Amino acid sequence: MTKTSISRRELLAGAGWAAAGAVLGSPSRARAEAPTAPVALGRCDSYGSEVVPALNKMFDQLGGLGRLVKGKTVAIKINLTGNPDDRLGYLPIGQTAWVHPAVIGATVHLLGQAGATRIRLLESPWKSAEPLEEYMILAGWDPREFSTAAPRVEFENTNFLGRGKEYARFPVPHGGHLFPAYDLNHSYRDCDVFVSIGKLKEHLTAGVTMSAKNCFGITPCTIYGDGAGVDEPGLLPLGGRMPIHSGNRQPSKTSLPEKDPKSPREGGYRVPRAVADLVAARPIHLAMIDGIESMTHAETIGPRNKHVTPHALVAGLNAVCVDAVGAALMGFDAMADRGKAPFETCDNTLRLAEELGVGTRDLKRIEVIGEKISSLVVDYRKVGAAPAKA
Amino acid sequence: MASEIAPNRLVPFRWPAGWTPDHLKLLAGSPINCLLINDPGQSIDAAARAAGLEVREWSSLSPAPLAKVRWDGSAPIVAVTEVAWPQIKPMERGANAEAGPTGVPWIDSTSWVARLAASRAPSKQVWLGCDPPGDQVLTARAYRLAIADCAATGARWMISLDPKLAAGIAAGNAEALATWQQMSDTLAFFEKRAAWRSYRQRGPLGVISTFAGDNEFMSTEVLNLAARRNLLYRVIDRSVAGSDDLGGLRAVLWVDPEKPSATLTTKLSAFARGGGLLIVSRAAAAAFPGERNLDCAVAGYDLRAFGKGGVASPQRDWDDPYFVALDSHNLISRRYDPVRVFNGSSLWVHYSADPRGTASLIQFVEFAGGRRGGGVSGSVVSLRIQYPHGAVQIHTMESGTARPLEPVRVGKDVEYHLPSFSVYAALEVTA
Repeated sequence: MTKTSISRRELLAGAGWAAAGAVLGSPSRARAEAPTAPVALGRCDSYGSEVVPALNKMFDQLGGLGRLVKGKTVAIKINLTGNPDDRLGYLPIGQTAWVHPAVIGATVHLLGQAGATRIRLLESPWKSAEPLEEYMILAGWDPREFSTAAPRVEFENTNFLGRGKEYARFPVPHGGHLFPAYDLNHSYRDCDVFVSIGKLKEHLTAGVTMSAKNCFGITPCTIYGDGAGVDEPGLLPLGGRMPIHSGNRQPSKTSLPEKDPKSPREGGYRVPRAVADLVAARPIHLAMIDGIESMTHAETIGPRNKHVTPHALVAGLNAVCVDAVGAALMGFDAMADRGKAPFETCDNTLRLAEELGVGTRDLKRIEVIGEKISSLVVDYRKVGAAPAKA
Repeated sequence: MASEIAPNRLVPFRWPAGWTPDHLKLLAGSPINCLLINDPGQSIDAAARAAGLEVREWSSLSPAPLAKVRWDGSAPIVAVTEVAWPQIKPMERGANAEAGPTGVPWIDSTSWVARLAASRAPSKQVWLGCDPPGDQVLTARAYRLAIADCAATGARWMISLDPKLAAGIAAGNAEALATWQQMSDTLAFFEKRAAWRSYRQRGPLGVISTFAGDNEFMSTEVLNLAARRNLLYRVIDRSVAGSDDLGGLRAVLWVDPEKPSATLTTKLSAFARGGGLLIVSRAAAAAFPGERNLDCAVAGYDLRAFGKGGVASPQRDWDDPYFVALDSHNLISRRYDPVRVFNGSSLWVHYSADPRGTASLIQFVEFAGGRRGGGVSGSVVSLRIQYPHGAVQIHTMESGTARPLEPVRVGKDVEYHLPSFSVYAALEVTA
C-alpha cells in the first residue's frame, strides 16, 4: 500500500503524522516535530468485570471511540508471544506474557459498541500458519468470547498470506531505518483503523515491549522468516524471524531488501529499527498496553521471570507516547539510550520511531490523563533482582 | 516350556549374558517373572523355574521389527523389536531450530508402536523391544522412563540392561543396585495398577490406514507425530475398519492415497452425515463429494458440508506427516482435546477409559529430567479436564498411594495443579 493522501481523521489521531512526515521532511526534522498525543492511564485491580468500565472511561478521556471507529473496519494486533501452553508457575499466560483475554474482549466489546462494523483480531503465531483461534484454544482461551463480544469479529493469522490474494506493501516514511518497505498480510491494509494491544514487559533484545514492539509480529515469516522462500514468499511459515534479528539472509526477492547489508548484524541494532520502521509504515491509530498483571525480565516465559501486578491500563492515539508512559510504569526512562536500562544492549526503539516522526517519547511533552504514573509504577528491575519467594 | 503364568501377568526381562543362576537372587521381591534368554545354553532354566519364574527362549517369541511382525500368529504375545528408545532429544526439525522464543523438544516414545500393535492384535499382549542406546550413559531415570512409557499404553518393555549396568549389578556396585531397585519399584507400581492395562485408548480422532507397504511411512509417522502433539487418537487398521463402530470419534483421518472400498465409503459417509468430520487424502476425496463448499480456517484445505458433518481434503498431496498431524488437529479443533495441559511440552499424555465406562485415566509420562520452565516452582504442570467428570485421584511413584486431587478455580475455569513428579503421574477420574 502506498499512501499518497492523509485523511483528516489520521491527522486528528496524531498517528497520521508519521505518514505526514514521509511527505514533509527528513528524519531529523521529523524528530524535532514528533507529535504528541494525550495518554490515558487507568488503574484496574484485576481482570474481572472492572476491565470494561476502566477502558470505557479511558477511551472517553481520549475523546471517545466513536469518532475513531464508527462505521469502520478495525484491525487489532494482539501480543501472543511464546508457546501458548507455557505458564509462569500455575499462572495463566494472560497474567504474564500475553495480553489478557479480558482486555481483548473488553476492547472488542467497546469497539463494537462504538460502531465498528467489522473487527479483525490479528497475530502471527511463531512458525505457524495455524488458525489464530486454535492458538488461543491451546492457551485455554475460548475465542467465542471474542467473536460474541461485537457483531462481526474475525480472526486471522498474519504470519502468511492467509485469506488474502497478495501481500500489501507498506513503504516506511523517510526511507526507513532497516528496510525501505515491508510486505504484510492484507489485513493490515484492509482496515480503516489499526489498534495495537501490547503487554507491559521487558524484552531481551529490544529492552521493552509494549504497543510498538508488538508490531514486530506483523511481519510474515513466509517473507521475513528463516524458512521464507528465496524467490517468492513461502506458502507456510517454516521458521522464526531470525533474519530480521541477525540479518543472516534477505527476505524473499519479491520484497525489498534491507537498505544497508553492511549494517550491524546484531539484534540490538536491528530489531528496534525494524519496529520503528513498522510503526511508521503501518501507523497505529489506537495504542494500548495491558499492565494489569505482567512479568519481569523477558518477553517470554522462562525461569527468571517474576510476576508483577502494576494494575495499569494505558491507551492513547500515539504509540510512542503510550509506550513512553509504559516504560515509566516499569521504572524506565524512555529518553535513555543504548547502554542504560532497559536498553543496555540495544538501541531505543522509541527514539528511532521518534526520528521517523511517529511521536515523542518525552514525558514532558505528553499529557497523561487519569492516574498519575507515580501511583502505578512497579520497578521491574527491583522486583526482578529480589530473591525468589519460597 | 509351557507357561504357568497367564500371558497378561508376565513381566519379561532379557537375562544378561554373563549372569549366572546366583544372580537370580536379584529378582527377589521384583515383579519380574519371565526371563528371556538368547542362548538355550544359559543354564538358568531349572533354577529359575525353581524360583517360580518362567523362562523363554528369545527366538520362541518370534520377535520382529514392526513391519515384519506376524499379527495373525497363534501366540498370545507379539514381540516388536527395534523400537526407538524413549527419550527426549534436541530438536532437529525446522530451518532454524535454535532460534526464537518458542519451540518444543523432540521426543521419541514407544506409545504409537504400542497403539498400532494393540490395534492389529487386540487380544494379544504387546511386548516392546527397545534396547538402551550404546552411546549414552543411562541413569536410573532413563530406565524408569522406558518402563513407564511402555506401561502407559498397556504394553510391556522387554527389559534389557546396557552391558555396563548389567555388569555393575552383577558385581554388587551400589549405584547399579540402586538403579536396579528403582526399576523394580517402577515395575511394582504398574503391577499394582494392572487393571489399567485393560483400559481402552480414547481420543477424538480415528486414524485409518493399512500402516504397511507404501503407506507405512506416512501413516506410522502420522501416529508418531500426532501423539507427540497430544492429539489423542484411536488406531484403526484398514482391514478391520469395516467392523469398527467409529463410536466416540469426532473425526476420522483416512491417510492412504487409495480410495476406500465401497463398503468403507458407505460407512465413512454415514459417519460424516451423522456429524463427524472426514479428513481424507486428496486422491481419496473424490469418493466423498460432499454437498457444498464451506469456509475452511486451515490453510491448504477444502472443506465441504456432508450431512451434519463435513469432509476435508488437502489441495495438494500430503508429503509431510508433520503437517498431516498438525492440520488434522486444527481441522478437528483443539477444543475437543479431552485434556488441556499447561507447561507440558515435555509430557506425553495418554487418555483411556475403563471398558465399563465408570472411570477414565489420564496419564502423563515426563520425558525431561530435572527442573524445567515455570519459574521458581520448577516443574509445575496444571491442566483442565475438558469433559464432565467427578472426583479425581492422583497416582505418582513418589507418593506410592492414590490421593485426592482437588480442583482449583482459575477465573471461570476449573483446573488441577499437579504436584511435582519425576517420571510418571496418572489421574484416575470418576465418571
